[in-house]
Amino acid sequence: MPRISQARDLETLQQHFVAKRERVKTTIVVCGGTGCQASRAGSVIDAVRAELARQGLMQDVVVRVTGCHGFCEQGPIMVFEPGNLFYCHVTPNDAQDIVSRTVKKGEVIDKFLYTDPVSGRKVTKEAEIPFYSAQGRQLLNFNKLVDACSIDDYIAVGGYRAIAKTLKEFKPAAIISEIKASGLRGRGGAGFPTGRKWEEAYEAPGDEKYVICNADEGDPGAYMDRCLLEANPHQVLEGMMIGARAVGARKGYIYVRREYPLAVKHARIAVQQAREYGILGENILGSNFSFDVEIARGGGAFVCGESTALMTSIEGKVGEPRAKDVHTVKEGLWNRPTVLNNVETWANVPHIILNGAKWFASRGTESSKGTKILALTGQVKNTGLVEVAMGTTLRTIVYDIGGGPKNGNRIKAVQTGGPSGGCLPESLFNLPVDFDALWEAGSMMGSGGLVVMDDKTCMVDVARYFLNFLRDESCGKCVPCRVGIDRMLEIVTDIAEGHGRPEQLDLLQELAETVAESSLCGLGKSAPNPVLSTLKYFMEEYRAHVHEKRCPAAVCKALVTYSIDGEKCTGCGVCLKACPHDSITGEKKKPHVIDTGLCQRCGICIGDCKFDAITVR
Amino acid sequence: MLQYVNVTIDGAPVRAEKGTSVLDTAIHVGVCIPHLCHIPGIHDMGACRLCIVEEVKNGRSKVTASCTLLVEEGMVIRSNTDKILKMRKNIAELLVASAPNSKAIQDIAVRCGVKDVRYPFRNENCVLCGRCVRICKERAKANALGFIGRGKDRHVDHPPGRLMDYCNNCNGCIMFCPMSVTPCGGLMKKGEERLCGQCDSQLNADAQKMPGVCVWCELGKGFQCSRYLAI
Repeated sequence: MPRISQARDLETLQQHFVAKRERVKTTIVVCGGTGCQASRAGSVIDAVRAELARQGLMQDVVVRVTGCHGFCEQGPIMVFEPGNLFYCHVTPNDAQDIVSRTVKKGEVIDKFLYTDPVSGRKVTKEAEIPFYSAQGRQLLNFNKLVDACSIDDYIAVGGYRAIAKTLKEFKPAAIISEIKASGLRGRGGAGFPTGRKWEEAYEAPGDEKYVICNADEGDPGAYMDRCLLEANPHQVLEGMMIGARAVGARKGYIYVRREYPLAVKHARIAVQQAREYGILGENILGSNFSFDVEIARGGGAFVCGESTALMTSIEGKVGEPRAKDVHTVKEGLWNRPTVLNNVETWANVPHIILNGAKWFASRGTESSKGTKILALTGQVKNTGLVEVAMGTTLRTIVYDIGGGPKNGNRIKAVQTGGPSGGCLPESLFNLPVDFDALWEAGSMMGSGGLVVMDDKTCMVDVARYFLNFLRDESCGKCVPCRVGIDRMLEIVTDIAEGHGRPEQLDLLQELAETVAESSLCGLGKSAPNPVLSTLKYFMEEYRAHVHEKRCPAAVCKALVTYSIDGEKCTGCGVCLKACPHDSITGEKKKPHVIDTGLCQRCGICIGDCKFDAITVR
Repeated sequence: MLQYVNVTIDGAPVRAEKGTSVLDTAIHVGVCIPHLCHIPGIHDMGACRLCIVEEVKNGRSKVTASCTLLVEEGMVIRSNTDKILKMRKNIAELLVASAPNSKAIQDIAVRCGVKDVRYPFRNENCVLCGRCVRICKERAKANALGFIGRGKDRHVDHPPGRLMDYCNNCNGCIMFCPMSVTPCGGLMKKGEERLCGQCDSQLNADAQKMPGVCVWCELGKGFQCSRYLAI
């Protein structure tokens, strides 16, 4: 076990690990992130290793199990280095084929290649896949270079050089001014300037200070924090060390939710390894700086992602927010000055220190610098984690990276920022991904969820879905959030079920504005965003529901009628048998009819009809 | 020695004791800020949000609850702007729609200018103001009550789910519960709920014209206005 007691040791160690890497002939990079593990990457890894051992290739070939590459829908993913050959949808049974043909003979096996859904052609190299090439990856690129459970890998790619540089060259004030100059803003959602936060904590009186990494990511469909912490936990640790050095903290916490078992495991291993190497602990790298990190597991409450609720939760109390009139940088955890940043913010810090503020600020817009990781989901061809420079337009993300609409439908809106973000219509797709631009449009960056919706999505239903989520996740402490969200949901449900009255639309708007202003914490303050943004941009859909009792997207069950197109129906009788409510009648080989009185609008017949004869209006 | 700070509430300069909340200061000088969950001398949790005010700082105003906001030198507070009054009315409307069977809440609704309730009544027995929980913890020092559950499942109960012997039977929780006094017209059954108009007669014309000034209204006794409790 090498123990690093000074900066020179780190350099020697890095050279040693790099030399060791160079001796390897082929590296098979297999993604072992949660997404790929769900598609049985674990068995693939075991099978490949067993096959390598059987064929006696263990000396020359290394299997590197890394964190998420971002293209989870194609998992399990395999990349061969050198050569950058990219395989997807690999199964354990393919191990023998892959080892004997691709690894041994360098053959490219056609059936594992990725097919671009837009052009329909096969792509051999990872770098040539449009999903990857249209992005500007800074942080995610590191994921495939390191094994998350190996500090050696992280040191080999230059890890912990930033903290060494900080301890040698920077005074705390200089770190803060460097971060300020870089223009880094909090990636957790609000976009507060990180340098300013650190400065306030640095100036706050008190000898005991804390830094916290917020990895309590709870937005449906968003997983960039999980990915970063799972794939490269040392990068986050290093960022926290630099932050701790800047504000004068000796202790840090990583608050990660229990539902992320792999992230918890990897973070724990990382902390353990860093302690063993002497990178965490007393007198780090021979300096007078001492720092240690503890992992705190969250129970999975969405509200615990809010800074004050998170801190109360670490303190061992019920995770409920408290009033933030005094900022947490002055009175945070145990009433001590505390810096709380998101995983992605921390992960950016080492790169800023190593490459300089200018390098970081060279990408992005006037007010938002650097890159942002987004979780692209919904009705697009390619989904997954996407890292783009700030200022990239939504159109680029949806059409170039996402590959455009799935199933030939028209894309109607994107929902940014998770449940407390807003829905932006297609007409605003030229908006750049930028904290202020999204905020002004009535949505927000949030932690970076991006859900694409097509014309088969009803915006009233979307608002109802998010309100339902927030009603369950509100802590219930204050009246506007607890009762207000419940009442908004009541109104939206009325509208979706066809009992909506015109005056309810005004009431909904008024209530949403009240909740947004008067709630206690960030959850309540942003909870009405899905309602406010859909009211703003998709008012005609609400009106159609209220005035015409019609759901334009044919989603709201109470407002749609099922019918059979007599020209398309062949009278095969499949729907007749499938209907659990006996609402379909008709003779064989003659068009069938749906009795709308009996029809419960379950949609089973649509799934079974081979002739697209059943229409919903 | 007591230290004082100078704050401005609704344009009037006020000298306030350091460490007190804006709500206590305002009530002390006769500014009416309706409130429900606040009890003098007990820690505030900012649950009911009726006492919201605007704090003007660097030319920008921020809405926040005055009970959890401590006075600071040079602070500028606006407690009865149109925006605040409208939001307060909306919150009072939410409260009275959930629990019409409380005289205190009916009184607050009248004072906040609620004229009609636009939501279906719910007739709940608790509005989770947390007065009982905090009285039990801080005055009786018994900790026999607590909040259980999250969001719509949140309710007040004895933490293990049944009454324990560490309850002192002091009745503090009942005394301070806003639901313990029913409206003058008596208990409303399900389906009979209404906005209680009778209390309107207790509110004189001046009180309606001056929403921001304490007029020692009769309503104060009903909702246990802390100006009454403090004397």
